[in-house]
Amino acid sequence: MAMVDTGQLRLHVQRMSPPEGVRPVATAVLVHGLLTDSLASYYFTIAPPFALAGIDVVMYDLRGHGRSGRPATGYTLDDNIDDLEALLDRLEVTGPVHLVGNSYGGTVAFGYAARHPERAASVSLIESEPATAAWAPKLGGILSRVLHELAHNEDDALAWISANRGHNTARLAKGAARLARETSLSQDIPASGVLTEDQIRAVHCPVLGIYGGDSDLALLAPWLESVLPDCRTVVIPGHEHSVLVEAAGTIGGHILSLIQSTTGAAEVAAR
Amino acid sequence: MTPTTEDTVLADLTGMLTALLEDEYGVDDVEITMTTTFNRDLELESIDLVTLAGLLQEHYGTKVNFAEFLAGMEFDEIIELTVGRLVEYVVQSLKAAEAG
Repeated sequence: MAMVDTGQLRLHVQRMSPPEGVRPVATAVLVHGLLTDSLASYYFTIAPPFALAGIDVVMYDLRGHGRSGRPATGYTLDDNIDDLEALLDRLEVTGPVHLVGNSYGGTVAFGYAARHPERAASVSLIESEPATAAWAPKLGGILSRVLHELAHNEDDALAWISANRGHNTARLAKGAARLARETSLSQDIPASGVLTEDQIRAVHCPVLGIYGGDSDLALLAPWLESVLPDCRTVVIPGHEHSVLVEAAGTIGGHILSLIQSTTGAAEVAAR
Repeated sequence: MTPTTEDTVLADLTGMLTALLEDEYGVDDVEITMTTTFNRDLELESIDLVTLAGLLQEHYGTKVNFAEFLAGMEFDEIIELTVGRLVEYVVQSLKAAEAG
């Protein structure tokens, strides 16, 4: 297990490289979502086929999540972008990278691209959106509803989740409740700084938005295409917010096409 | 060299899982058999499976690729995954490497 000290905290990092003899054509950095998520959502889904396709894959656990350090405070969006920036500097991955983010991880990835447009070769947002003025209170509201339920009657809430959503989801919810109890995450996220529309527009690299057809976030697809200079969106019918783990093959294929089209690797491979 | 059998691989995996459970959760009294499930019986989280992938790689090198094995599965199959199914995969991978 690789731990990288950013100077602020230790972050758990996993890399998957192309097989021996295959020259890496690009680097992809994969950022996971909030509370119940970790780099495992990529490690066992899209990362192995990406590596086989010649992509050097970097995955890490956000602070407080997975095996990374869990400081009591420092959970605003900017803290997360600072962590990503420090991590890539430590790894000496400073050239343009293909950023991929699931849910909140996409908001972090987009924030990194907005801060350093020259370091972003593309951004793929899975069930995710840039940090707009509407984003912060919306996510704050969701966090507060979920955590209020768990904090006030954790046993009943977990029993309900276990009966209706299964044992595994209940265990994930328990871990999420612990993270919220031990840190300032639920106060910090809604207090995060957000981007202006001009800052969002300034992300000029190709952006791919992927949404579950049954998710509220799919409604954002037309707006995202209208505001960004180079954006395409895909809606996958029959899925909600967990579309990454449920339809990993389809999602990985879309992202891989985007990466290959920007590196010219697809043309090379086709010859 | 000890021939690769389900018994030897089960013994290897039991060693790795016992170490993982003790390091991460302080648990040291778990019985591991071919029918033990990672999720329900061992209460392992997906991030623990990433750690297990690292342990498998340390032990078997590139002959066994746990990430690729799981990447080929549906989400529900991963939830139901048993130690026995991983044992079979490891035996198969090691035999393929020996043959190749």
